[in-house]
Amino acid sequence: MRSSVRDRFRLSEQIARPTSTDRRRFLLHAGGGIGALALATLLQGDGTLTAAQGATRQNGSIRNPLAPRQPHFAGPAKRVIYLFMHGGPSHVDLFDPKPDLIKYAGQPLPDSFGQVMTRRKVANNPLLPPIKPFRPRGQSGLEISDFLPHLAKCADDLCVIRSCHGDSVNHPQSVYQMNTGSILMGKPSLGSWVSYGLGTENQDMPAFVVLPDPGNGVKGGPPAWGSGFLPATHQGTTMRAGLNPILNLQPQPEISLEQQRAALDLIGKLNARHLVERDFDDQLQARIDSYELAYRMQAAGPELVDIRGETADTLRLYGIGEKDTDDFGTRCLLARRMIERDVRFVQLYSGDTNGWDAHNDVASNHGVHCRRTDKPVAGLLTDLKRRGLLDDTLVIWGGEFGRMPMSEQGTGRDHNPWGYTVWLAGAGVKGGITYGSTDAVGLRAAQNPVHVHDLHATILRLLGFDHELLTYYHNGRDERLTDVAGTVIKDILT
Amino acid sequence: MHDHRSPTQQERSRLLRLCVLMTVGLLTVITLQGTAQTAETTAVPTHPAEPPITDSDREHWAFRPLQRPDLPQIRRKAWPRTPIDTFILAKLEAAELQPMPEADRATLLRRVTFDLTGLPPTPAEIDAFIADTSADAYERLVDRVLASPAYGERWAQHWLDLARFAETDGYEHDHVRPNAWRYRDWVIQALNNDLPYDEFVRLQLAADELVPDDESAAIATGFLLCGPDMPDINLQDERRHTFLNEMTSTVSSVFLGLQMGCAQCHDHKFDPVSQLDFYRLRAFFEHDNLFKEHPVPTPAQRADRERFERRRATEMKQLTQKIRQIEMLARAVPKASANNKQPAEPSDIADRLDPPQRKKYRDLQDRLAHWKKRRPPKMPMGRVMREPGAVAPVSYLRVRGDFRRLGPQVLPEFPRIVNTSGASGFTPNALTSENRSSGRRTALANWLTRPDHPLTTRVMVNRVWQFHFGRGLSPSSSDFGYMGDMPTHLELLDWLATELPRLEWSLKRLHRLIVTSATYRQASRPITTADSATIDGQSPHERWQLATQIDPENELLSRSPRRRLDGEAIRDAMLSASDSLNREANGPGIRPPLPDELVRTLLKNQWNVTKDTGNHSRRSIYLFVRRNLRFPLFDVFDKPDTNASCARRNTSTIAPQALTLLNSRLSLSAARNLATIALQSADGDRDRQIEICFLRTLSRRPSADERRLANTFLTEDSDRLRRQSRGQQSAESIAGVDAETEPYEIAALTDLCLALFNLNEFVYVD
Repeated sequence: MRSSVRDRFRLSEQIARPTSTDRRRFLLHAGGGIGALALATLLQGDGTLTAAQGATRQNGSIRNPLAPRQPHFAGPAKRVIYLFMHGGPSHVDLFDPKPDLIKYAGQPLPDSFGQVMTRRKVANNPLLPPIKPFRPRGQSGLEISDFLPHLAKCADDLCVIRSCHGDSVNHPQSVYQMNTGSILMGKPSLGSWVSYGLGTENQDMPAFVVLPDPGNGVKGGPPAWGSGFLPATHQGTTMRAGLNPILNLQPQPEISLEQQRAALDLIGKLNARHLVERDFDDQLQARIDSYELAYRMQAAGPELVDIRGETADTLRLYGIGEKDTDDFGTRCLLARRMIERDVRFVQLYSGDTNGWDAHNDVASNHGVHCRRTDKPVAGLLTDLKRRGLLDDTLVIWGGEFGRMPMSEQGTGRDHNPWGYTVWLAGAGVKGGITYGSTDAVGLRAAQNPVHVHDLHATILRLLGFDHELLTYYHNGRDERLTDVAGTVIKDILT
Repeated sequence: MHDHRSPTQQERSRLLRLCVLMTVGLLTVITLQGTAQTAETTAVPTHPAEPPITDSDREHWAFRPLQRPDLPQIRRKAWPRTPIDTFILAKLEAAELQPMPEADRATLLRRVTFDLTGLPPTPAEIDAFIADTSADAYERLVDRVLASPAYGERWAQHWLDLARFAETDGYEHDHVRPNAWRYRDWVIQALNNDLPYDEFVRLQLAADELVPDDESAAIATGFLLCGPDMPDINLQDERRHTFLNEMTSTVSSVFLGLQMGCAQCHDHKFDPVSQLDFYRLRAFFEHDNLFKEHPVPTPAQRADRERFERRRATEMKQLTQKIRQIEMLARAVPKASANNKQPAEPSDIADRLDPPQRKKYRDLQDRLAHWKKRRPPKMPMGRVMREPGAVAPVSYLRVRGDFRRLGPQVLPEFPRIVNTSGASGFTPNALTSENRSSGRRTALANWLTRPDHPLTTRVMVNRVWQFHFGRGLSPSSSDFGYMGDMPTHLELLDWLATELPRLEWSLKRLHRLIVTSATYRQASRPITTADSATIDGQSPHERWQLATQIDPENELLSRSPRRRLDGEAIRDAMLSASDSLNREANGPGIRPPLPDELVRTLLKNQWNVTKDTGNHSRRSIYLFVRRNLRFPLFDVFDKPDTNASCARRNTSTIAPQALTLLNSRLSLSAARNLATIALQSADGDRDRQIEICFLRTLSRRPSADERRLANTFLTEDSDRLRRQSRGQQSAESIAGVDAETEPYEIAALTDLCLALFNLNEFVYVD
């Protein structure tokens, strides 16, 4: 009974089990493995096992969990870049202009707004007007703050969702929710769901890559890009700029690549004997393959992070070489290079432990973080667009929540999960539009509210998934990213 | 939580009941809110609005009363060594299959040693076992291995996976729980002492109540409390609610094999578990003091402390008396320089005394101050269950799992589907002698460990089976409900479940029964051995071929499963092969250095490397477990996330595993240490060197073919290193080896060892 129910929605797993003839053919042709002659000798040599006997099946079936897979239907987005503004950027200072906030600045929130749960008891503090002026931008007239002069030039590509809301006023819970749908730690992240659902076209690279802020310290830590109960293969692999972007990607200094290749050849020969004696067990074969992949990754990783071949114009576009923007610009460029190499999901973090968490001075905090990210983000969008990559790449920008219209310590703002902005750009979404709105002061999502689950449902839809059908059976339940909720925001789809 | 499948016909009636309940439940909430205070005496095990347990529910294989099945009929009567084999063979014969012949000795030794201790056999053990030709050599081997402390260190990891054990809180600050290791040590010790399983369960649920005279016993209750926690959340009610629900789900999943977590929001959609069932189970654990650390001294430590306190009290009393006497005397004497008759202030007292008396007075005062300052012997602390008193707090169902919405009041009751005894979960009379605690958990523990409990032994023997064979008789080892997998060998499962109490709940006897079975001893590959005679006209090769065709997933156990080592065992095996494993047991978690690339990304104090470097090579079980930072080697080899109970680990095969074993510092240093051992013990004899390396990594001697391959590799590799002038670095640190003449030999041998650590044969056990 169960399997029939379960199988109906299981992702298509069209990867046929390799027959042992396939396996043997692989062995014969695998680079760096054992040569054809040696294998033939092995198969027929000592008479314990003939080639015919080798053709029987063995324990279980193995398929590559990262093999590319078809989604439920053809989605416009093939891959995702998620720009995560850690700490909670202020929607009322960046994307959500509120004239009433200027009008009633300095006064307390009117009683009509009722009780407000806040992290730091700021409910009765005076309203704080936007730090910088907003202006209509581009042909669309989309309003963006003077905090973001570069991004303002891309206004016509942005789909600004002004009515997002989540469930917790705390950082880690909200970081988890934006990434996994749940405020509890330990659920699979959006990127790992996408990796599970789509696999990856480039077997030399992980499907889901995370580029943490060099200051690090995301509140809630690596579970934010963890795979929860999904197989560990799908968790985000953290990469850094520099020569050693992935842990253990290069041999220890004492071991030369040539030395390592010799060792790999010996491993291949001994593994081949072991495999034949065990009737071509699929698991053993898969592990042999993983060594060849690892070897290729060692070359692909450094090539990926080597940006010396990029033109001066491109580097300038991202702000690489400028003090403020060099780090985030480099990471944005790496994100494009990954996308070009068919990495499925790239997530970039902006902001160290505190990041955009502007409790006491929005002007200086957001001043710093906007300076660091504005040009790189605009550069990324521009570059993706001119290369035609924006057509099938979805870009997401947002933090774990927004910020309160009331002030904190005079010029700061407290966390606000009740209403905030996330924007999307690229594959399958309308550009130059806003969707939904917050109330008069930006406190709560009011018109067309978009819960985190709705946002996730929409992102999955853009990738070709029905969010209710992308499930994984765990502890008695078919789990999904959107739990029991989620409505696709159809109005923003092209 | 909900489930998202479309219901099948069979499930519709349950859904219908759910809808009815939701409507009625709403009314109930409203009416019961008003009567909350009286509900204490009127609660009934089944609420009127609850879906009743039906006869067909009780017919589900896991809920049926336990009965000991008869042994089935078999044809090949000579094969079984244990009743287990009779059950296995009956199914094989029904499928017209024959078991595989017994594995060779070296394979058996490696298999059972890794299985029971997580370590490879040493070269001496290999030689001894191969040379032992007595009939019961294998049985004696099993006894020896089970008696090794390494057994508890290995099997504790399985239990700690279930217990979602970690030494930090998780979430934002991921605070260290400095005493969490005591529970890890308790599990290791309990297993090594072969604490009967019923006792093992009882103590983890209620040791504080069951053993009130020994506060250290409560460490066992760390099981309940070692889940993730969010101390910094705004609403402490939410924290407590989340923590208790997680604890309740873990208890039901681990001991009952029931996934009750979904019932925290609504009745289970498939299993006969209602939302009330969930909150009744939670009611066993609720109290207001969940997050505090308590002293956990042994009786001796407690006695020491009391002795100290008594002595301090006595001393201080005596000193104070003596001081008072002197003061009284002094007050009677007028101060030499004073004319008034005012009573003397203490500060004046010294002035009124003659020098010898003054010295004595000061001395007494000093001694008093000293006793005041002296701290009693420090009590070990731990996060353990200790209720603030005998009165249990009132518990409520939470509507839709929302901590803010109180539903009807509930009393502690056992889940109805498994409560065939009709026993009530908790009566106020079940208090412990001194009424320091409510006794609720004692009642739960006693009920769970009844020998006729339909789930407790079924679930546990299935887990033990799974850890031996890689898959349980029912593969869904923490889900015995409707959504779980039907056992492949139901009668065998029930037989084992009734056997455990007969074995006096001894897990070691259960292990012994399983690993000495003919089933366990089968070969895992097509082989030709002494007992490979033709059976029913089939040669072993024909048997193998049939087995892989008819039983492709090996569900019938027509051969022994091949199993990959987990990250912990791989690390221990590399350290062990290179004689660098520090076998010291117990104590706070160890933090060995992490790779530089990772260190750069860490927060301050996130991973303070353990100062004593000798500890860095302790067994993996003793490494510090941080929720937000998994040890990289274990992480890449599928160590479960510690946020939820893990019944069975994934076994993925991914390239980063290869990168880790090829390129990590750990691999290289273990390879170098192993090369050193080979050089030192077989100086100059290359063939012998190769043999030592094979024996220590693969637990066998190389074949002639492999010797030739390894030899060629060493020659070519050392030539290449010589040409490139690489290798000195490797030679520097090796004592007793002539670095001048042999640097390239050493480096080449290191490369060979590194290759051996990367072989399929090293990480897979046949």
